[in-house]
Amino acid sequence: MGYEILDKKELAMNEVLYKVHAPHVARKVRPGQFVIIRAFPTGERIPLTPIKWDREEGWIELVTFVRGKTTMRMANELRPGDELLNVAGPLGNPAPMKKFGRILAIGLITGMVEVFPIARAWQEFGNDVTTLHVTPEPMTILKEDFERSVSRHIVESYQLQPGWGMNEIAQELVRRAVAKVRELLEGEHWDLVFIVGPAGGEKAVFEVVKEYGIPMEADLHPIMVDGTGMCGSCRILYDGEVKFACIDGPGFDAYKVDWDQLIHRVGFYADMERRALEEYLKSLRGSE
Amino acid sequence: MARKKPKLIKERVPTIERPAEERVHDFKEVNLGYTFELAVKEAERCLQCPAEYAPCIKGCPVHIDIPGFISKLVEYRDNPDKAVKEALNVIWACNSLPATTGRVCPQEDQCEKNCVMGKVGDKVNIGKLERFVADYAREKGIDDELLFEIVPSIEKKGQSVAIIGAGPAGLTAAGELAKDGYDVTIYEALHEPGGVLMYGIPEFRLPKDIVEKEIDKLRKLGVKILTDHIVGKTVTIEELLQEYDAVFIGSGAGTPRLVRAPGVNLNGIYTANEFLTRVNLMKAYLFPQYDTPVKVGKKVVVIGAGNTAMDAARSARRFGAEVTIAYRRGEEDVSARVEEVAHAKEEGVKFVYFVNPAEFIGDENGNVKAVKFEKMRPLEERDARGKRKIEGTGEYVTLEADTVIIAIGKHPNRLIINTPGLEVDRRGKIVVDENLMTSIPGVFAGGDAIRGEATVILAMGDGRRAAKAIHEYLTKKREEKANA
Repeated sequence: MGYEILDKKELAMNEVLYKVHAPHVARKVRPGQFVIIRAFPTGERIPLTPIKWDREEGWIELVTFVRGKTTMRMANELRPGDELLNVAGPLGNPAPMKKFGRILAIGLITGMVEVFPIARAWQEFGNDVTTLHVTPEPMTILKEDFERSVSRHIVESYQLQPGWGMNEIAQELVRRAVAKVRELLEGEHWDLVFIVGPAGGEKAVFEVVKEYGIPMEADLHPIMVDGTGMCGSCRILYDGEVKFACIDGPGFDAYKVDWDQLIHRVGFYADMERRALEEYLKSLRGSE
Repeated sequence: MARKKPKLIKERVPTIERPAEERVHDFKEVNLGYTFELAVKEAERCLQCPAEYAPCIKGCPVHIDIPGFISKLVEYRDNPDKAVKEALNVIWACNSLPATTGRVCPQEDQCEKNCVMGKVGDKVNIGKLERFVADYAREKGIDDELLFEIVPSIEKKGQSVAIIGAGPAGLTAAGELAKDGYDVTIYEALHEPGGVLMYGIPEFRLPKDIVEKEIDKLRKLGVKILTDHIVGKTVTIEELLQEYDAVFIGSGAGTPRLVRAPGVNLNGIYTANEFLTRVNLMKAYLFPQYDTPVKVGKKVVVIGAGNTAMDAARSARRFGAEVTIAYRRGEEDVSARVEEVAHAKEEGVKFVYFVNPAEFIGDENGNVKAVKFEKMRPLEERDARGKRKIEGTGEYVTLEADTVIIAIGKHPNRLIINTPGLEVDRRGKIVVDENLMTSIPGVFAGGDAIRGEATVILAMGDGRRAAKAIHEYLTKKREEKANA
């Protein structure tokens, strides 16, 4: 028994949307929660965030950022009518729904897809939400959706330069994010800053927000396996205590997170992830 | 049955075991079990104590008629298929997963513990005989044959039961209830049913295709299995109670316990749950053919000395690592099965006793490089479990390690125990009455969810007891309805 892919489209470069029939998740999911999917019999379990859903029709929309073997293989091989083998969820805790006031919700590159359901819900709840998307130009996504759903949507994009690797892209991302956030914090009053992005970028932005003493929440993405609190792969150090991002998060008070440890932990398998991707690319060349 | 008086055979018929130097390079099964001829020879050693006395039956948590099934092997020795079918029928009356229990039960503490043969020689190898019956039946399709005889005679009751968790407790309860004629649906959080049998116990001890076939039998009994459903998130117990007539919680002890010591989040430090889930369920030992990675360094330290610790240590050995088990108590307090400890030693796992982790030491990249232990010493006084108490000496010893696996136990799963109205004790164990019913009427529980941490067979015993209690509960409900 799988979960049918009802629709698939490329939202932007390397950003692929899958509309999936998963009524058990659609019935229950709330903004801030995630699912764990498995796409292939030899595949890994990866967490993804539903950005939209329909409780009656029983579908959810997931967006993957193509960067490793699984997401690339999904982009290459899956078609509408195919099935995801597993969609488990909803997992994690919903984002807190209350009146904060003026909220700055930041998405770094693909983190923006996770910001969407939360920002929209906060706005509907009576908050004044500004969303900021910091991203390389070709990965601008969901612009119209944000513009329709929140008070103000800002895109801070930059051009990719020839010869840039992941490091350069990340450095520019951090530079841009930090500068833009400082500008926004300097000129306006904010009650809450929220961020979703790679751990290094989240930390850099937090360092700025801390200077202004504004409350800040961050969705964290340590490596997960089961996503149900069973394995402890996603553990973080939070206010001196070990927490599991899957069942205690994914949202945390940015002031209490041990950021350096989180950054170390997310990079633990980088070499093996590269190897898996290289072997996959090799197999593609072999089959041509 | 015509019983001739055989002379006592004092020594066990040995099973076939792959040599340590060969098996340590792969994940294939270590013990190859008995052939029919060997099984009959071992079966002949059984003294056939009468059922009302037999200490083996008393020692078995699910009370299998052990002399009964063993006698079938001898009685029908000229017709192996018939012998196995008759023996399996006896086992199935009490245990629906014999291929599993034959491999993972701690027989030396249960059925075999008081075997009368032990007074004059080796105890009868009950575990391997059970396993033989299950394996032979599966290979020859005898289990299916027996199943097809059972299924048509099942009388449908028109009531339904939801089971939470497809581990040993839930699978057993599901099988019993399906045989009683209830519509059974299992809710499983992971992508494969089996629970600890799939994610925890390694392939070399319990091959996964065997577990899959045992679960297939349940499907043939009409049990429905919904994977990817996390009770507490996807659906609540309250919602299940609206849809089903009763609920059984067999959600296990899903949350790993961590050492409270600085550095516990360094890279390279795994909980046994994570390490074994990656290796077994996600098949990380076949990376990159399978996508999930695992990192096993050159020097692995496993903390703890239970079955899980042995599984983790032996798995790590198969990645070519030098492996040391570090335990805070002494050798006599090791809680793992005798066979697992022996296998671990044969495979070159080293043991260090009376050391308690005090600090994990990392390098500049946040990777673990050593564990600092406090040396412990035993006291005369014993704790509630009969183990000698220990105390710190203030002296320390450091072991180099680039991978550490923490195998010191688990807590019950938090997602379930947060159910409103569900009474739990201060350790998070679900509180049940003598019928395994929880504080919520119609909701029963068993296995690690009520015990904290136990064995596969105790969980299965709970599953059976709960199935009986649920059957009685639902029978009463039916009668009330009929009288109303």
